[in-house]
Amino acid sequence: MTPGPSSSLSELRLLQLSDSALPIGSLAHSFGLETLVDAGFLRVQDLRNFFRGYLEETGALEATFCRRGVRLGCSAGKTFPAGDWAVLNRRLSALKPAREARAASITLGQNFVTCVLAVEDISVVRQAVQASESSSGSPEIHHSTAFGLVCGALGFQEERSVAAYLHQQVSSLVSACQRLLPLGQSAAARILWDLKPSIVQAAERSARGDADSASSFTPLLDWGAMEHPALSTRLFIS
Amino acid sequence: MAGYKTETATDARSQARSESALELGFERGGCGQTVLVRSVQQPPLRVVRAFALPDGSALAHVHNVSGGLLGGDALSLSVDVGPHAQVQLTTTSATRIYRPRAGALPATQRNHIRVAENAVLEYVPDAIIPFAGSRFVQETTIELAAGAGLFWWEIVAPGREARAEVFAYESFEMNLDLLAGRELIAAERVRLVPRERAVDSPVRLGPFRYWATLYICRVGVAGAEWLHVEERLRLAAGGFAASASALWGVSTLTAHGLAVRCLAKHGRDAVTGLHLLWNEAKQLLYNREAIRPRKVN
Repeated sequence: MTPGPSSSLSELRLLQLSDSALPIGSLAHSFGLETLVDAGFLRVQDLRNFFRGYLEETGALEATFCRRGVRLGCSAGKTFPAGDWAVLNRRLSALKPAREARAASITLGQNFVTCVLAVEDISVVRQAVQASESSSGSPEIHHSTAFGLVCGALGFQEERSVAAYLHQQVSSLVSACQRLLPLGQSAAARILWDLKPSIVQAAERSARGDADSASSFTPLLDWGAMEHPALSTRLFIS
Repeated sequence: MAGYKTETATDARSQARSESALELGFERGGCGQTVLVRSVQQPPLRVVRAFALPDGSALAHVHNVSGGLLGGDALSLSVDVGPHAQVQLTTTSATRIYRPRAGALPATQRNHIRVAENAVLEYVPDAIIPFAGSRFVQETTIELAAGAGLFWWEIVAPGREARAEVFAYESFEMNLDLLAGRELIAAERVRLVPRERAVDSPVRLGPFRYWATLYICRVGVAGAEWLHVEERLRLAAGGFAASASALWGVSTLTAHGLAVRCLAKHGRDAVTGLHLLWNEAKQLLYNREAIRPRKVN
């Protein structure tokens, strides 16, 4: 049995994969926040409350799917469960009513696996890409499931992987808020620092659910994502 | 022993109060008029009769004769819309979810809807009003065959506003799976527990109190056409959502349809907008006007 990577090595790899500077385009998406800011529904003073709610809802949902991805990624050496992988990503697509946000998640997911395969040839990840390309007209690999899959394939601990995914997701959105709102570097850092207990709680909550039952209620954010295509001036792709 | 019997009796009263099943089957007749051909009714859900609409559709009102849902009620609605049939379902009034007895199960409603080839179902009910302390679970599965069309909305009120009950319910769950053939094209998993997670959070309803979702589907219509419908509905919604009292979002689903999300401060704004968008979409997809349901008591 091949020994897993040392914990320091795993930690460094996980840090790189969850870095918002990873070249997959995450900083180009606001997932509807731009619309909320434009309409006056999201101000600097709302951000802590907003992101706590975001983690309770979307965060916990995405964490559930990330966790499922980790478990599928751990199937290295056995036949890759292509059917389960396709169902997982299609279910997540069905749970995302906003076209742009759905497409953004898929774009980031596909860019993520491409980026990973460029630095390490991981058989499970290659099989997942091939399975997605052959199962439907347009491949669906979401960011959360892809992140989990890679982490599982690399032998990272499930809890650390899920928390790392949530951290990078929130980091990207806080970064988006710095471009949309008068939010300075120090204030943004403090918000991100203060959100860590909420990140942990969302990750823990995801362990109690499954992909079929995981819930999320974000109608105002959904509206923001749905109406983003109609903004006259857009800094972000979504 | 007497104490044991008392506890058992209390438990029995706290469990399911009533189970109701309503099964409806509609078929298109030879003359082109859709008729109600099968009706299996176990109260309190009832349908008195189906009314013929000018465009050949059948209109039926789903009536809860007990006045609302109580804790432990388990209601089931099964609807089969036969090939080429056209059906419109509505309610006689708002669905009231009452506060349950202590220890009672949540009120539940399970909907199983099948729309056959080239049939159309328009499900346009009144709002759901969850009273203070209520617990409710609704699960809906909708299966659309090739060419099937769907206009399906749900409106959820914050509670009995006139009694200052706003988000005072204990829990509200709404789950939906919408399939075209075997393909899952939309899903919802909503779980609201206001005491644990504020419904008026800036990520949930913000300053709004009502929320509604409208699904518009026609299996087989190409993605490019849905983008066109999305744009037309967005323009139509922009016309009547100029005020700050309602927001309308429109976006295509993974395939075969689109979703409309509404957030409103007043129920009337949600209802008015839904009717307008339903009519706009029906004209785009079917070249016909939507017929607003005549309400009966």
